Amino acid sequence: MNGTVEQAVQTAFADEWGRIVATLIRRTGNWDLAEECAQEAFAQALVSWRRDGVPARPGAWLTTVAANRALDRIRRGARGAQLLEQLAHDPLAGTGHDGEREMIEDDRLRLMFTCCHPALALEARVALTLRTLTGLTTAEIARAFLVSEQTMAKRLTRARAKIAAAAIPYRVPPPELLVERTGGVLAVLYLLFNEGYLASSGEQPIRAALCAEAIRLARLLCELLPADSEASALLALMLLQHSRRDARVDSAGELVTLEHQDRGRWHRDEIAQASALLGAAGPLAGGPARAGHYRLQAEIALCHVQPRTDWVRVRDLYGLMLEASDSPVVALNHAVAVAMAGDLDAGIALVGELVQRDQLASYHLVHATHADLLRRRGELAAALPAYQRALELAPSPAERSLLRRRISELSGGPC
Amino acid sequence: MKYLQLICIDPQAAGTPEAAQAMAEHVEPWVRDKDARGVRILGKPLDDPANARTVRVRDGRTLISDGPFADTKEFIAGLDILDCESLDEAIEVAAEHPVSWFHAIELRPFAGELEIPAHLDDERLRQLLIPCIDGIPESDEVEQQLRLDIDAYRELVDARGVRVMGGPLAAASTATTVRVRDGKTLLSDGPFVETKEFMAGIDILSCESFDEALELAGAHPLARFHRVEVRRFVDL
Repeated sequence: MNGTVEQAVQTAFADEWGRIVATLIRRTGNWDLAEECAQEAFAQALVSWRRDGVPARPGAWLTTVAANRALDRIRRGARGAQLLEQLAHDPLAGTGHDGEREMIEDDRLRLMFTCCHPALALEARVALTLRTLTGLTTAEIARAFLVSEQTMAKRLTRARAKIAAAAIPYRVPPPELLVERTGGVLAVLYLLFNEGYLASSGEQPIRAALCAEAIRLARLLCELLPADSEASALLALMLLQHSRRDARVDSAGELVTLEHQDRGRWHRDEIAQASALLGAAGPLAGGPARAGHYRLQAEIALCHVQPRTDWVRVRDLYGLMLEASDSPVVALNHAVAVAMAGDLDAGIALVGELVQRDQLASYHLVHATHADLLRRRGELAAALPAYQRALELAPSPAERSLLRRRISELSGGPC
Repeated sequence: MKYLQLICIDPQAAGTPEAAQAMAEHVEPWVRDKDARGVRILGKPLDDPANARTVRVRDGRTLISDGPFADTKEFIAGLDILDCESLDEAIEVAAEHPVSWFHAIELRPFAGELEIPAHLDDERLRQLLIPCIDGIPESDEVEQQLRLDIDAYRELVDARGVRVMGGPLAAASTATTVRVRDGKTLLSDGPFVETKEFMAGIDILSCESFDEALELAGAHPLARFHRVEVRRFVDL
């Protein structure tokens, strides 16, 4: 019995936390109060649900309890009377109202845009999104980003204080700002995802949670902004990358490159979902109405999970991406695709140019890629120093270990 | 919400013919437009920062040094006080100012209510006092006493009839810096230049002489623990 109650509270937490906090922020204008009262409502649920059973609509129960807590606190506070008057004038202060339900749906969107407001520091946007929308604790977020809990708490407090003092609006941006600001939200979600996915350091369970939360938030954003094709493309991209999580690392904890992964361990259901999302987005547009960045990335990721990678298509997709950005990383990937699509010499020539660029000189992947392509052309003597340079620059233990293996293969024995 | 809009000049970006032309062409229309919209309460350029004075009082002695409170290559060349719905509106207003296209604009919210005089005569905007905190917080008791002293100080200056308006600013960490580059509005969290000293507020004075403003700066409670910068406003 207790097990099911705990499970019910846990499920409600995952489903309802962000909704409750978002609604309380709208109704009280106080972020700290909203989080504290939401927390108390979940603590109360553990007790009450055990005694009275799980309510039919856990979300509504939790929202009411949290809102009552907030009212109590405000009543007791110094400025209570004044604030209460404001709340009483809020025509939607009641629950169950149709308008209120719509407002509640929008609340999470408001909260997302406010957490990801560009006037906040990027690291604060990420932390605030995790804390208020997913309910990860300050300690958990601190562990995920390798800072002390105290530092993370300070970061969150400072961000909330700025939102209040500088009047960062709690709203879905008006049409003229919507595209740009949505781009900002997507960037935060993708950063969150990559923080978990790339796992350059930190503890595994927390990292996996970051990926899952990023996907959940992207799904929510797609629900709330169904017309935004970049939002659904980002969701597809994350699903495709996440679908390979069990095959990316071998039993010894070593990174496994795509071509050597055990495809039986990929999550086919997630690949199918991503494929459907991209299919629904219609054909890729070129020219001035060209596809967005996440769409192109997702299309490329989709090529990579096919039984045989269509390298010509990958090359063309990177070509489209290069038209829109002069990112050296995109240029590097394009060069690889050129080589893989059949023109090894042209690919090596392109990477050779990139190695000379200042921006990329200290980027380990340029040297590793250069080495890989040289090896494919059979130039082992030239590949070796490039691998060694990559090894000097590689930031993560898993990547360093992969490079050491390559070097030892080339040198014909363990080094 | 009332915001202080600081015109922040990066000397390295100044002096290009392109920048000079944009300022000459677009500042006046910006002022007219924002006044008409009712989002600009007042504003004026400041004299060369080399003519700024910074006042401290230590052991009962008033020490006056040349230059602004923070020794940085970027400097504040003017200010406006904005009245906007939210930070988004203030950002939009700042991004239309040509200074943000070549240099930077810092937006700082005022702390609490800011009293706006019924009649604002441009002629009366003569000197700017910037009480600064130099980064070392005092004990809570001192801080509390300081707040009371500052209230008393404002009453004193009001009684002399030389204070136009002003008030305390929200913490430096609530600042947003706006730059427009390649048609894109770029925001950064925090003041335009990170120094350990930061502005705690502003007071706009209408003293007959700069010396009177220096005297009032010396009488400011923050001068005893921190410092107070004094600048002259100039006509556009």
